Amino acid sequence: MSAVAATSVGQPVADLELSRAWLVDPAGGREGPGEIIVTNGVLEAVNWLEGDEAAGVDERGVVVAPAFTDLHAHFREPGNEAAETIATGTAAAAHGGFGTVCLMPNTDPPVDGREGMARLDSVVAGLSSPVRVLAYGAVTARSAGEELAPLGELADAGVVGYSDDGSPVRSAAVLRSALLYGGMLGLPVVDHPEDLGLTSGAEAHEGLVATVLGLRGWPAAAEAAAVGRDLAVLADVLADEPRARLHLTHVSTAPALDLIRSAKAARLPVTCDIAPHHLALSDEWLAGSRRWAWEAVDSVGRARDPWTDGSLVAAPFDSSLRVNPPLRSPEDAAACLAALLDGTADAVATDHAPHTSVDKDVEFGLAANGISGIETALGLLIAGVDAGRLPLLRAIEAMTLGASRVLGDRIGPGSGLVEGEQATLVVFDRADSWEVSPTNLLSLGKNSPLLGLELPGRVLLTIVDGQFAYRDRSLDA
Amino acid sequence: MSVGLEREPSQAVEPASGQSDSGGAGRAAERPTWPHRHLLDTDVLTGGDVELVMATADAMKQVLARPIPTVPALRGRNVTLLFYEASTRTRVSFEVAGKNLSANVVNIATAASSVTKGESLVDTVRTLEALGAQLLVIRHGVSGAPYLAARHFGGHIVNAGDGWHAHPTQALLDLYTIRERLGQSLAGRKVVVLGDVLHSRVARSNVWTLTAAGADLWLCGPATLLRGFEAWARVGAAGRRFTVTSDVNAALRDADVVMALRVQRERMASALVPSLREYAARFGLTAERLELARPEAFVMHPGPMNEGVEIAPAVAEGPRSVITTQVANGVAVRMAVLQLLAGRVA
Repeated sequence: MSAVAATSVGQPVADLELSRAWLVDPAGGREGPGEIIVTNGVLEAVNWLEGDEAAGVDERGVVVAPAFTDLHAHFREPGNEAAETIATGTAAAAHGGFGTVCLMPNTDPPVDGREGMARLDSVVAGLSSPVRVLAYGAVTARSAGEELAPLGELADAGVVGYSDDGSPVRSAAVLRSALLYGGMLGLPVVDHPEDLGLTSGAEAHEGLVATVLGLRGWPAAAEAAAVGRDLAVLADVLADEPRARLHLTHVSTAPALDLIRSAKAARLPVTCDIAPHHLALSDEWLAGSRRWAWEAVDSVGRARDPWTDGSLVAAPFDSSLRVNPPLRSPEDAAACLAALLDGTADAVATDHAPHTSVDKDVEFGLAANGISGIETALGLLIAGVDAGRLPLLRAIEAMTLGASRVLGDRIGPGSGLVEGEQATLVVFDRADSWEVSPTNLLSLGKNSPLLGLELPGRVLLTIVDGQFAYRDRSLDA
Repeated sequence: MSVGLEREPSQAVEPASGQSDSGGAGRAAERPTWPHRHLLDTDVLTGGDVELVMATADAMKQVLARPIPTVPALRGRNVTLLFYEASTRTRVSFEVAGKNLSANVVNIATAASSVTKGESLVDTVRTLEALGAQLLVIRHGVSGAPYLAARHFGGHIVNAGDGWHAHPTQALLDLYTIRERLGQSLAGRKVVVLGDVLHSRVARSNVWTLTAAGADLWLCGPATLLRGFEAWARVGAAGRRFTVTSDVNAALRDADVVMALRVQRERMASALVPSLREYAARFGLTAERLELARPEAFVMHPGPMNEGVEIAPAVAEGPRSVITTQVANGVAVRMAVLQLLAGRVA
């Protein structure tokens, strides 16, 4: 590749010319060999190569795609800036290939009114990164689950939807009101589906691994029960407010995905996303396995026994694996992949949840839930692509077009390669890998279970609205 | 990364099959070496490792039979007991074991330490190491806590019980007690673990050792207290198979060994058991139920007991009970474990 006249992150891209790369254009539904030219930050030309010109360019090398959108991220500002700030979070996002992030409102204090949005806007205004920072507002005041937050005020302040993430919307009655009121305002409710009555004290997905390790079980039924409740409430409000929209985030189990598949077949206005760790990892990792979820099932899709086949290579109880919802069985991970392939899942969202070592380097059952994942999402998906489990185009769609399907045009332009627009691109090298290490992670949250592993798909450039958000060091050599 | 599990290079020799038990201290020449830095659970112990513990415990039992039951094996070494949960028998058992080996035994009562000021486990472990702890015996209410400690401690960790997960010295003393009566091989012997299996670290550690010894293992209790174990039994982790049932009569029929587990009052608050009375009526180990077992069957309990709930007083104190033998053997087995681990730094 040939790059690049402009120098530092945040500066306008004066010139970028990439010849003989693999272009992926989800909005156009097209991928193939091509070249792009960016002039003064504008995507000047997208040329698809044919015949002899295309010879030798394949999807295994340098890939150019629209920069990704993350529907679900936690930056910890305000309240826990030692875990992540908006500045460090956007830097991490750009390193992961993301040009747009949608922040969950469960900061301290939460974004539950226009004061919270004003606070966020003032931080974003001072940001040098061009990464687009969007925000959800809380569904309920103080995210306490009781009274509605000022949803209209939040809409006026520019939120892209409402969520009490970290917890489910506690009562079906409040969810019902939020769907009606949010629908009236044209905004979705994003629910974290969990029946808290079934997960009190839970530590790990209820199944073989939790049983052997003596961890308190977190049943799949807790997710399916909550999804069932949410879908019933959604179906109920549509007659009164046809614009009601429900998005279910980080869905992780086969039974919950089956409910969503049926609901979509019945044309309920529901969307959902899956986190990359629920696709690529499984609860085996808690016992010390480090193989991908698709390697942990046999030819008929049943989970293998990691104690028998020698795949336990690390010490058990690594608290960086503690996450809500928990890492599920290999069969559930396979169901997540199937849902992504058949469109039941609209998007992949990272649920990036950075934590300090104070909150994470403790006993498994006392550790904070969450994985710092915005920089490793692409690598986990590419691992699936490399294994032949996921087409590259679908993987990219899930982090671009998928978000647009959920949030519509509120996330701004950029799920395609469109000549004449401000460039919003990611350039990554599928053939190159990088080691996940505390130094290489730009997030302040070093709580990744992938530390020490090599991930495929090294991001070289992330460009947002014509400006560099990330440049790999190798380009400066 | 895998410090807790990794087998260090060794010349470990599997004992020849059919080797008689009670090899004792006199067989040192052909004895395999101990390859583990810590004892965190029984899942990683090979047959050879278990034989070594049993043989060393035999030698320790001979020591305990002396008028002054003390040897200088750990003289000058520091054994620190860090107990985050209340315990009498296990803590005292380790304390006596350490003192019998001439170790300096330090007892940390967590209620009186800076733990109550919010010090993390990692900081506590590092502090104890700086204060000279070489063997750290940890009891903790959270499953996996000793594995975290092992990542941050330069010496040896013995897990004295973590959450619902493991209690390896209890499983080893249970195995020792069973073998004293049934011999080295448990092939074809029916061993029943009866009670609150779900919350039991004793049951989990015993699954590994008893299945490895060839026992026909049955886990029995109300369905609410067996949750998840059917999956384990079906997959048979590492090829280890056992039977799970709520049918107490089927479990006890022709049993060679019956091990009752404590049922705690808290289980009713979490809607797992309707009442202790109902539990006792349906699952309590009574003299009448014990008639289903083999005539020579014996009864075990890891303690502390709720007499009249999971075990009838007449059974706990009856002629078939080996419960006090378990306690006595516990000292020998813990002496063996401390000796084998600390031998590494000798």
